[in-house]
Amino acid sequence: MKASQVKVCVLRIEGTNCEEESFAAFKRLGTKPEKVHLKQLTGADVSHEEKRDLSDYQILVLPGGFSAGDYVRAGAIFAARMKSKLSKDLIEFIRARKPVIGICNGFQILVETGLLPAMSGVMSEVPEAVLGTNDSGRFECRPTLLRKVNRDSCVFTAKISPDKVSLIPSAHAEGKLMFPLDRSKKIVRELEDNDQIVFKYVDPEGNLAVYPWCPNGSTDNIAGICNREGNVFGLMPHPERVFFRFTHPDWTRAPDGPGDGRAVFESVLEYVTKRL
Amino acid sequence: MADPEGKNTLKALELLGFEGLKDVKTVKVFDIVMDDKSPGEAEKRVDEMCRRLLANPVIHNYSIKIK
Amino acid sequence: MSTDRLYTRRDVPFELVEIDLEDASDSDLMELSRESGTALSLEEIKRIRDFFKQKGRRPTDVEFQSLGQAWSEHCCYKSSKIYLKQYIFGINTRQVIDRGDAGVMEFDKDHAYALRIESHNHPSAVEPYGGAATGIGGIIRDVLCMGAQPIALVDPLFFGPLDYPFEKLPAGIKHPKYLFGGIVAGIRDYGNRVGIPTVSGGVWFDESYVGNCLVNVGCVGIGEKKNLRKNAVRGPGDVLVLVGGRTGRDGIHGVTFASAVLTKESETESRGAVQLGDPIMKEPVIHALLEANEKGYVNGMKDLGGGGLSCVVGEIALAGGCGAEVDLSKVPLKEEGLAPWEIWVSESQERMMLSVSPKNVDEVLHVFRLWDVPATPIGKVTPEKSVRLFFHGEKVFDLELEFLTAGPEYCRPCSAERTGSKKKEKTPQIKAKYDKELMKLLGSANVCNKEWVIRQYDHEVRANTVIKPLQGKLGHSSHGDAAVIKPVEDSFRGLAITTASNPFAVGIDPYRGGKTCVDEMCRNLVSVGARPHSFTNCLNFGNPEKPDRLWLFREAVRGMGEVAKALNLPSPSGNVSFYNEAPSGAVLPTPSLLGCGIVRDIRKCVTSDLKKEGNAIALIGATGPEMGASQYYRITKSHSSRIPDVDIPALKAGMEVVLGGIERSAIVSCHDISDGGLAVALAEMCIGGDFGAEVDVSKMEKLRSDVRLFSEANSRWLVELKRGKEKQLPKDRKTKVVRLGTVGGHSLKIGAGKKLVDSDIDKLAESFNSTLWRLVG
Repeated sequence: MKASQVKVCVLRIEGTNCEEESFAAFKRLGTKPEKVHLKQLTGADVSHEEKRDLSDYQILVLPGGFSAGDYVRAGAIFAARMKSKLSKDLIEFIRARKPVIGICNGFQILVETGLLPAMSGVMSEVPEAVLGTNDSGRFECRPTLLRKVNRDSCVFTAKISPDKVSLIPSAHAEGKLMFPLDRSKKIVRELEDNDQIVFKYVDPEGNLAVYPWCPNGSTDNIAGICNREGNVFGLMPHPERVFFRFTHPDWTRAPDGPGDGRAVFESVLEYVTKRL
Repeated sequence: MADPEGKNTLKALELLGFEGLKDVKTVKVFDIVMDDKSPGEAEKRVDEMCRRLLANPVIHNYSIKIK
Repeated sequence: MSTDRLYTRRDVPFELVEIDLEDASDSDLMELSRESGTALSLEEIKRIRDFFKQKGRRPTDVEFQSLGQAWSEHCCYKSSKIYLKQYIFGINTRQVIDRGDAGVMEFDKDHAYALRIESHNHPSAVEPYGGAATGIGGIIRDVLCMGAQPIALVDPLFFGPLDYPFEKLPAGIKHPKYLFGGIVAGIRDYGNRVGIPTVSGGVWFDESYVGNCLVNVGCVGIGEKKNLRKNAVRGPGDVLVLVGGRTGRDGIHGVTFASAVLTKESETESRGAVQLGDPIMKEPVIHALLEANEKGYVNGMKDLGGGGLSCVVGEIALAGGCGAEVDLSKVPLKEEGLAPWEIWVSESQERMMLSVSPKNVDEVLHVFRLWDVPATPIGKVTPEKSVRLFFHGEKVFDLELEFLTAGPEYCRPCSAERTGSKKKEKTPQIKAKYDKELMKLLGSANVCNKEWVIRQYDHEVRANTVIKPLQGKLGHSSHGDAAVIKPVEDSFRGLAITTASNPFAVGIDPYRGGKTCVDEMCRNLVSVGARPHSFTNCLNFGNPEKPDRLWLFREAVRGMGEVAKALNLPSPSGNVSFYNEAPSGAVLPTPSLLGCGIVRDIRKCVTSDLKKEGNAIALIGATGPEMGASQYYRITKSHSSRIPDVDIPALKAGMEVVLGGIERSAIVSCHDISDGGLAVALAEMCIGGDFGAEVDVSKMEKLRSDVRLFSEANSRWLVELKRGKEKQLPKDRKTKVVRLGTVGGHSLKIGAGKKLVDSDIDKLAESFNSTLWRLVG
């Protein structure tokens, strides 16, 4: 499959607000992204020409933002709406090994839907994790450094070398990944065994570090995880914001080269063009 | 369970001049008006609402009160 | 009540009252003004009385309320217009495209940007969180209704000292710390949710803001020229479609509230005047509106701000040379039982008015339905210039627009007589070393690192923020002077955005202070490599009915206008906020400016952090002895009424030197010299770059050492020059360039024969970074 044939569904509802830059990232690589409202997939309030079918796309993107205002809980409303009307299509999409990425609010949505961590099966009945309020109690917009810890499962990071530290900025108030307290350690070990942990927050030396390098107090400094198959990926930081070098926070000190986030989009595109 | 919102509210109250506060915990209440016939039926439906949207079992407990 | 006899209820199934102005005495009329919450003056009510006498009928409450809104200071600028016309409005360049709810300027051949800043002071003082949040909502709508996509927010804020003693707080006044926290949270929660980056701003602290904090919010948008719209109907037959939120009792009398002095009862009485915002209504409104507009379905649109429907209907119709007929019973309500006058003047948030050709109405409604945003046709445009309102079939309002919008314009008395005695000049003691003073300045609330605020705002959403508000090596950020957005995908052209204000200078010498504000704005833009292009301003002053307050306003505007005119910088939009007073007195006269500049190629932009050991550091611009309003005098409790002036040819020359140096890549970092002077600017550059520097100030003008270090003389920059490229810096005999020293080491060493400052960068950083965390945690 050629890049120009790859259709990317950038899914949104009210309050999704990072769709433009997510759209742009895929567009720049020559694919065919499209901003699609959830109602266009479920068929409510739309005309025949506006109706879309998830199975027509090769990549699904859940962008960042504050879907439905993050009321009730970050991502919960989007997740509940998706789960009630789109479960079957989503499961088929994921079983077909098509890639799904959730960035920031999108990660929260994937967790609330039960598509991540998805330790057994494609979608869990109830959420197995949560992205809770940051330890600081505040929204944190700051540069974060992520070390790739995934061995080779995740299709979104294949082009990033092992242990490479990438600058991918964060901007969220609820990014602390947590598991049921009594089983947290065990779950993290299982995630490691399954190669489901993708990125960890580190300091400039590449070491696991506390605030502010870890902006939220996340369990084991985890910034992003994938499902067992590696085709569903969620992370709190925003790779689409550093597609180019000149949106890095310190680019005037070292202006050359691509942005660190670009590799995420190139990796998944390579996967799709080679495998699908 | 960590409750940053509660902690911040405590601070705000102190800034307003309230003294001697020990702790603030936030609890979320959803007041749902429905016309189900029996309380049992209503409770069953609200329980489903909690599971499908209102609560995340990883960090939340919930209780239902029918009035 | 004595005025009861003046009201006659009309026999209809809803609340509708006629008011008998003819039989009313002067005191009755004033009582009417008070009771109705309109804040109309006696002469204004008399004008209304005469108008209706000629018509031979009595006004309805809907009409009376509507006139109160339309003629308020907030809506018709009755005290300020005369000076704005004289000093600011006349500046025009070919790049000015429109002066509507927001100003519109040319960006490139195909694109334009829109800009506006306004105040949300009184609502924020009463209900900080909601007041600030709705301020953001309003300013976004102003930009949106020009047909532009909002791309950046700015918010200059002014508070009392965060450590102000509780026991000194006047009754009914909230503590600055509480206001600060609430307002920052309001801006954060609304701005972040709506997905527009907050890229610039500032926080100023002064005791004068204790009783009346200031919250200014600005917005910049970008749009294709072909999608720009006027705030006007196209012609008779257009359908008026009200979109967005429902209408409720919240926000009734917001504009009249903004046009009166805050009292100790304001807190409880005026809460109803603060609207409730809903960012998750606004966010889809942006999508739906821009989509409908791009498809060509919208003829014109306008935001429902101050005065609600009562202002928007008349204004949008008249701007197209028409009138309108509206059925108020069609307006979607939040609650039952609103009287027609309440629907007409309510300022409920998240609403906009669209003027749509009849054939496109269904398409517009479809777009809004997809986004679950209410959209309702409520009236139509008529050829004659009057507005008629109906409510359940009953005509409740019929007024000629010429009268409704012909608000009074005053030339109020204005005099330099200042209350209070002239303060005596007091000069600080000369010292051998100034490390302590520098440390204290860096840690002072007005100078210190505002990271605590900045990082709560998403300044990167939309992924176009090329130069960010915090700059420097990872983990060592310091303030930049301006942010730069790259708004067009396939172009490297950038839009620089900055805020500038200097209430301390304006408070001592409003004319020079006004000039200083424009100078600072230009310095900021030039620092990142942008050529100043336009600005918008929010002028926060006290009660204009007091001659000394109005004099401050006039002088500040005169000063601003003088510099702006010399630089040919138009101000295509603006906002005046008077009555910023509490019983304890007026706030410092505070013009806050949002400046925009054009960057030809964003890849040439520079930041303020030092880049490389061995590079030279130079000072551009002349330093003088005027120390009035300086932060150094503030911390040493000294006083001078001599404020730095602006030497316009020198400012122009300095700008060209810096811009040329950046263009030729000779300058690799640049910081304007403002609060705290040269020493603070250099310390900030060191902190951001995590480098030391060694400089010698003896080649500067012959001045006291502390003046050399801490003077806030205008039109000055510090630049770091790339090794081997020093000679590429352009020369101009109208400004000075002094080579001060080099980047290197890990301490800041400033000398003039003897050592004046020798401090470790980590220690300076600690002082700079810790203040806000200590004060608000």
